[in-house]
Amino acid sequence: MIAMLEDFFDRILGRGDAAITVPTFDGSLKPNQLLERAEVVGEFEAPEDLTCVEGALYIADGPVLRRLEATGWREVRRFEQTMTAICGLPGGGLAAALEGSEIRVLAAAEGADAGQAISAGGMRAVNAIAACPDGGLLATDGSTGEPYWQWARDLLNRGRSGRLLFIDPASGNVEVRASGLHYAFGVAAVGKDVLVSESWRHRVVSVAANGATRSVLDHLPVYPSRIAPASDGGFWVTAFTARTQLIEFVLREGAYRKRMMREVPPEFWIVPRLCSGGSFREPMQGAHLKTMGVVKPWAPPRSYGLVIRLAADFSPLFSFHSRVDGENHGVVAAAELDGSLYVLAKGPKRLLRLAIAEAKEALAA
Amino acid sequence: MQETIVRLKAKYWPDHLLGEILSKRWTETAIPVIVLIIVAIALGQAIDNFFSPAALADTARQAGEIGFVVLGMALVVIVGGIDLSVGSMFALCDFCALYLLDVLDWPVPAVIAATLVCGGLLGAVNGLLIGYLHLRAFITTLITLIIYRSTYDLLLFTNSTKIAAAFPDFPSWNFIGGGDVLGVPSVAILYLAVAIFGHIFLTRLRPGWHVTAIGGSRRSAYNSGIPVRRTIALCYVACGVLTAIGALFFAARLGTVGGDVGVGLEVTVLTATVLGGITLGGGKGSVAKAAAGTLIVLLVTNGLTTLSVRGGFNRMVLAAILLIAAVIDIRWLKNRTRIISKVYVAPTYHRLPPPPPTEVGGGGPFEQNDKLREVALIGLGRIEAPEDVILDRHDNLYAGSRHGDIIRFFPPDYEKMEVYAHIGGQPLGMAFDRQDNLYVCIGGMGLYRITADRKIEKATDETNRSIYSVNDDSRLRLADDLDIADDGRIFFSEATVRYEMHEWPVDGLEARGNGRIVCYDPKTDTTRTVLRGLKFPNGICIASDRQSILFAETFGCSIKRYWFGGPRQGAVEVVMDNLPGFPDNINLASDGNYWLAIVGMRSPALDLAWRMPGFRRRMGKRLPVDEWLFPNINTGCVVKFNENGEVLESYWDLNSINHPMITSMREHRGYLYLGGIANNRIGKYKLANADPDFVQYDKRWGKPA
Repeated sequence: MIAMLEDFFDRILGRGDAAITVPTFDGSLKPNQLLERAEVVGEFEAPEDLTCVEGALYIADGPVLRRLEATGWREVRRFEQTMTAICGLPGGGLAAALEGSEIRVLAAAEGADAGQAISAGGMRAVNAIAACPDGGLLATDGSTGEPYWQWARDLLNRGRSGRLLFIDPASGNVEVRASGLHYAFGVAAVGKDVLVSESWRHRVVSVAANGATRSVLDHLPVYPSRIAPASDGGFWVTAFTARTQLIEFVLREGAYRKRMMREVPPEFWIVPRLCSGGSFREPMQGAHLKTMGVVKPWAPPRSYGLVIRLAADFSPLFSFHSRVDGENHGVVAAAELDGSLYVLAKGPKRLLRLAIAEAKEALAA
Repeated sequence: MQETIVRLKAKYWPDHLLGEILSKRWTETAIPVIVLIIVAIALGQAIDNFFSPAALADTARQAGEIGFVVLGMALVVIVGGIDLSVGSMFALCDFCALYLLDVLDWPVPAVIAATLVCGGLLGAVNGLLIGYLHLRAFITTLITLIIYRSTYDLLLFTNSTKIAAAFPDFPSWNFIGGGDVLGVPSVAILYLAVAIFGHIFLTRLRPGWHVTAIGGSRRSAYNSGIPVRRTIALCYVACGVLTAIGALFFAARLGTVGGDVGVGLEVTVLTATVLGGITLGGGKGSVAKAAAGTLIVLLVTNGLTTLSVRGGFNRMVLAAILLIAAVIDIRWLKNRTRIISKVYVAPTYHRLPPPPPTEVGGGGPFEQNDKLREVALIGLGRIEAPEDVILDRHDNLYAGSRHGDIIRFFPPDYEKMEVYAHIGGQPLGMAFDRQDNLYVCIGGMGLYRITADRKIEKATDETNRSIYSVNDDSRLRLADDLDIADDGRIFFSEATVRYEMHEWPVDGLEARGNGRIVCYDPKTDTTRTVLRGLKFPNGICIASDRQSILFAETFGCSIKRYWFGGPRQGAVEVVMDNLPGFPDNINLASDGNYWLAIVGMRSPALDLAWRMPGFRRRMGKRLPVDEWLFPNINTGCVVKFNENGEVLESYWDLNSINHPMITSMREHRGYLYLGGIANNRIGKYKLANADPDFVQYDKRWGKPA
């Protein structure tokens, strides 16, 4: 009752959850341009996810699974459908989600199926998979309402139907570990608990075996996405886009939101995007005005690029950015391999590489 | 259905007036006046005959006497001081008048003059000490209060019987004390006259402004060259004289000197001053407030006395009212500007049909291309904010800069540049007249003229005030672009009358027709507004019939034509509407058509927001300007159109990296020169099939090339 009243007054007064303020990039999120200056390893048609299997880097490029070899990118497997997530498995295998509604387990090296397709549990927008230490698979299903590609609509509808799934590849059983998440996008196993990115609530939560959730990193100025383990026990959390006050405001303007979804083409919605600046019909905000030939990097981001390094206790250590005036936006996946961090910027469809030691030096300087 | 309601409300409900009314300075007096009305009604209900003529006349008589003292107190409070000695001065002046009249038998005019001088001298003591010797007003007047009161007591001791024994009977003296004109007491008439003068003095005369300025900030006033010491001293003198006037009427009415004359008067007067809303900090106050305060105090005291409330209660009620009024008044004064800023911006309904296609492959005259990608750049990094560019017949290139300069670039390569004229405001549209004078619209300043020998002259900075406008719209806020008719009359646009130049996004948020077109006639040096209610009127160009102008409405996304002469004089006609972007300057092309700069492009999200005023109002309140949804003015294009409103061709730069924004363009000898107000460069583009000898204003004025 009191909580309801509080909620009610918050909405009237624009406080609490109804506030349209956005945290600043500060502390370990202090902006830099390291991601913008990162080396471009490759450009792809429709890159979706990235993973490492036994020292080799795999990329899901639309329906094509590719592996980075000394000679370049080799096509490992071509599906009929588009992959929405891939994940390396401890035994050398690989799991892939197709169209967000089906999961296949492959033997990585030759890409052959290593088990039957799993499509139980009403999966609709599976967007990240992680291997569980006890042999199962963990997956986040972003939304049960909207398909994988319609995440922007899910945000505008204030979607809260994300789920964390536990999949037993042997039996094909799908068990719901947690539901009612505000868009689940990104998963990693931490002992018995599971780390999940809850994008629309700008936080990373830890889900216990009994389904209890606990926030471990919140009030982020970004929408977190996939999580990759780091070499020394921590994690890399990617952020596919950043928050702006205008979007927070639009999310609280029901009438405008509904009419916008009905009357405006999706590419011109006021909504976070993976890349921006492609058309003058995109919504422009005040600070985007090019003055004396310069776009300010601190302007409100329609798209943004960010990777956050978390310590093993989930506290943020440092971060790599590509700011508003840059291009390497829409970071959806990262993978650490041999002292390098590979980052997938889905906006410009690029794979980037940063030497971690060098980047840390640049940050310290 | 819902949209219809929104549209009708926006059309017929004058949303924007609330903010404009609240912005008026006189609304500061609102609270005291409301309290006065409430008090008057309450007492009128409680007491019979409270508003009978006799009671009113009696009230007016007392109000006049105290009112003069309150005026004096208000003056010193506004100048930043306080005068606690008014009660003692009142008593001394009372004594002075009666002593001169009764004991020395002076004639009445001499008595009046001497009493006023006496009051002035008593005030001058305060003035000298506070104004010139910089003593604290509170302490000083507390001391003079004691000294004056002691003097009065001493004088009273020796003279009271003499004064009490006399019974003067002069008609003029009696008139002062109890006379009236048509039932209005003499004191009230004089008070009214003094109050009206005081109002004019404080609001319209230089010394009055000085007083307010000193009260607001003594240091700043001193730095601006205001004679601070003298003004402060004179305020105390004036306070003394006003107190003396009050005392004269008191003396004439009652004719007594007693031990209690003027005792506690300073508290009553101070209460009235504060109750009227005159801030003790100084710098804020008006005669109306002083009058309202006086009336409140008097009505309450008299009303409670009539109701036979005991003296103690009487004071307590007064104190309680004072407390409540002070609290409300402080909140009101403190938050008034915040309330204004919340309600001033009043977005309205603005519907545009879906725009014509601009996509590559979409067809139509607006189809994007890359013609402007290779424009050559002039003055890159050396010129800032060239909104308009213009060339003379010697090929010199002129452009405005945000430093308030007109910059001249020299041919042939436009590498060398100089400050042609420094005006001080952002130069916008420019045009040459027949005598080669350069007319420039300056944002925030008005229309200026740079003569052929580089003299800067103000052409005009004001126009006629509209009768129905709440805001004073006589000043020019954002003169934008101009062109000159054959008879020398200059037509220029003023983009908005509600906002300043740097606030143009707020005007875009409102999307109301806040702009106008103004005509300046150099022959008679007069300025008149010719068209009102335009949505950010911008570019202006004389049409080929020489009897009409073409003008662009930026947020209206349309080009219109207005006839200022000929058979269709006064008519307005749409030439083009529903443009895909926001039109800016219009200029003549060498083939007789017109160039139009489209400064930015429409976005569907903004088009939708323009149909939802409530959404925009909340956005304006809750988001900082940097986060607002803006018209996209990073990308634009140049189009050529004819008088029938047909677009002939368009010039685009798809990435708009080389030359991001286009607010104006000028054709000159086969090239197109581009200006953009957020740019640090001027573009130069080689036109195909253009007249290589075309010089716009030579052709315009029929001079040989």
